[in-house]
Amino acid sequence: MTELLTVENLHVVFQTYAGTVYAVNGMTFSVQPGEIFGLVGESGCGKSVACLAILRILPGHGRITAGRVLFDGHDLTQAKESEMQAIRGRQIAMIFQDPSTSLNPVFTVGSQIKRIIRHHTQASRQATEQRALELLDEVALPDPPRIMQAYPHELSGGMQQRVMIAMALASGARLLIADEPTTALDVTIQNQILELLVELRRHVGLSILLITHNLGVVAETCDRVGVAYAGQIVEIGPTSEVLHTMKHPYTQGLLAALPSAQQKGRDLLSIPGSVPNGLSVIPGCPFHPRCPHVMEVCRQTPPRLTAVNPGEAQHQVACYLYSPETAQ
Amino acid sequence: MQRWEYLLKRLFLAIVVLFSISLITFFIARVLPSDPAAAWVGPRPTQEQIAKATQTLGLDQPLYVQYWRYLTSLLRGDLGVSIKSRQPILTELKTYLPATLELVIASMIIGELIGLPLGVLSGAWKGGALDNFSRILAVACVSVPTFFLGLLLQLVFFARLKLLPISGRISNEIAINYPITPITGFYTIDTLIAGNWPAFQDVLLHLILPAITLAAFGLGLSIRMTRASIIETLNEKYILAARVAGLPRRTILFVLALKNAIMPTLNVIGLSFVYSLTGSILVEVIFSWPGLGQYLTNAVLSLDFPVIVSVTLVVTVFYVAVNLALDLIQATIDPRVTLS
Repeated sequence: MTELLTVENLHVVFQTYAGTVYAVNGMTFSVQPGEIFGLVGESGCGKSVACLAILRILPGHGRITAGRVLFDGHDLTQAKESEMQAIRGRQIAMIFQDPSTSLNPVFTVGSQIKRIIRHHTQASRQATEQRALELLDEVALPDPPRIMQAYPHELSGGMQQRVMIAMALASGARLLIADEPTTALDVTIQNQILELLVELRRHVGLSILLITHNLGVVAETCDRVGVAYAGQIVEIGPTSEVLHTMKHPYTQGLLAALPSAQQKGRDLLSIPGSVPNGLSVIPGCPFHPRCPHVMEVCRQTPPRLTAVNPGEAQHQVACYLYSPETAQ
Repeated sequence: MQRWEYLLKRLFLAIVVLFSISLITFFIARVLPSDPAAAWVGPRPTQEQIAKATQTLGLDQPLYVQYWRYLTSLLRGDLGVSIKSRQPILTELKTYLPATLELVIASMIIGELIGLPLGVLSGAWKGGALDNFSRILAVACVSVPTFFLGLLLQLVFFARLKLLPISGRISNEIAINYPITPITGFYTIDTLIAGNWPAFQDVLLHLILPAITLAAFGLGLSIRMTRASIIETLNEKYILAARVAGLPRRTILFVLALKNAIMPTLNVIGLSFVYSLTGSILVEVIFSWPGLGQYLTNAVLSLDFPVIVSVTLVVTVFYVAVNLALDLIQATIDPRVTLS
């Protein structure tokens, strides 16, 4: 299968007053056509920055220093700004964490969605109107004509996120980057939005890159998942394998930290230490200062992603515990 | 429905404000040590003349009676008579007010046509060459004294280049050969309505230098206001979302961002508009522009109280109206603003 999106060894740095922040340090993953790929990790692990880098919309002081982003075989890191303009929206769309701030407060929903349709399709006024109503219907919003007239603040959070999704579909994008799309919503609405994304994948054939820190969301929706730590992928593979036979100590820690019914009354588990601030590159494995199984080699050279079992190349982990040379 | 209720309420408040202003200015004017009767009669008056004038002007009555008389005639639309010129003030205002309005509106148009786009662009490319240029321009506009700028423009465009007239609203030859029939009092509009092209051209040329001189301050302000407001707006998530959606940059800047960012600038424009009505005195003097500023200043210097009170009232009316308009505009631009 040919990948729709391949991110290869991506490096992103930010110049700040405190110094250079290494946000993404050699991230590598890919999204297949029609797939929902989950990117999980704690806040500050570089997952959102990686997505902004894919679309080349990093804030002014952010820079891609190395790596490639292949979309349909074209390297987006080398594309001209005008070419990116054509990619954004038309090929790759994105929705954000907080839908209430992602919609322009002084325009009606209708005018915002129609502006995008008109820009990308040059359709007639009537066709645009028709398409906008269809899209609002497609994301299961009740009474589309009324929603068209409404201003964003008149809608609930869940409805706003549906509008955002409709706007993402408006341009006919093939890949949707969803950056924590449900984090700001309450739990029942979260589920509805996730179901909508899964449904759209089936009907429209949309590929989705889903960024989240919520392993439950991953388990429910994603075909494959990548676990990010300190700007790198430490474990990647089919969702069920990664979540059931997790290999990397960080992934194990994440799953152990999930609250469950069995530990009722006891303290929640947590991974000791805290996420590196990115101001310096940690030599060797980025997780070694917090790792319970740390070995000498972990402090020296960074481990590479390798298949867990020679038989299944899909599930890969970057950890010396599983590499043939060091495994005792 | 809510809007009409709101308008009625504001209208009522406006009447209260106007009433209070008339009361305050009237009493301040009367309390100041001066003798309107003597001014009315002229130089070297006799005792009888002054006594007679005092009676004619009603100055022998108690203050509250004087005010009552003034107020009732005001309600009938009679602003009184200028002590100095002995002309009805309403007639005088009909020439001075449109002259000033024409000048002030022209300067606002110039200021905003340049100031808004420049503010948006320098905000979008913060720290760039255009931003540095507009910063220098803004500081210069705000800090160069009006009289200096006016004289400089006259020196360059009249004395050196001989492109534009030095002063007045219209040239004498044109005024005689192509007389303007006053309809609105705005010479540009009156000549347009009458299809009087030679006069229109002449009037427009006369307007340019004073309008630019008056525009400078507001231009500087609106560049800086718009820039600051745009920078803040461009950090919003919905701007990022619009970029992600692939919308063109100019749409993002001049439609999506500007509609969110324009209100502070509009407020400044509105207030400086009202300020300019009488604050344009320096420009009016330099360019011999027969406007409200000159009219008021002369009235103050000769203690022509009826004129002072009337001009204050007129400016108050504009102030109240502009503020109401700004509130309505804000509610129209931003649906989250409720009128109450």
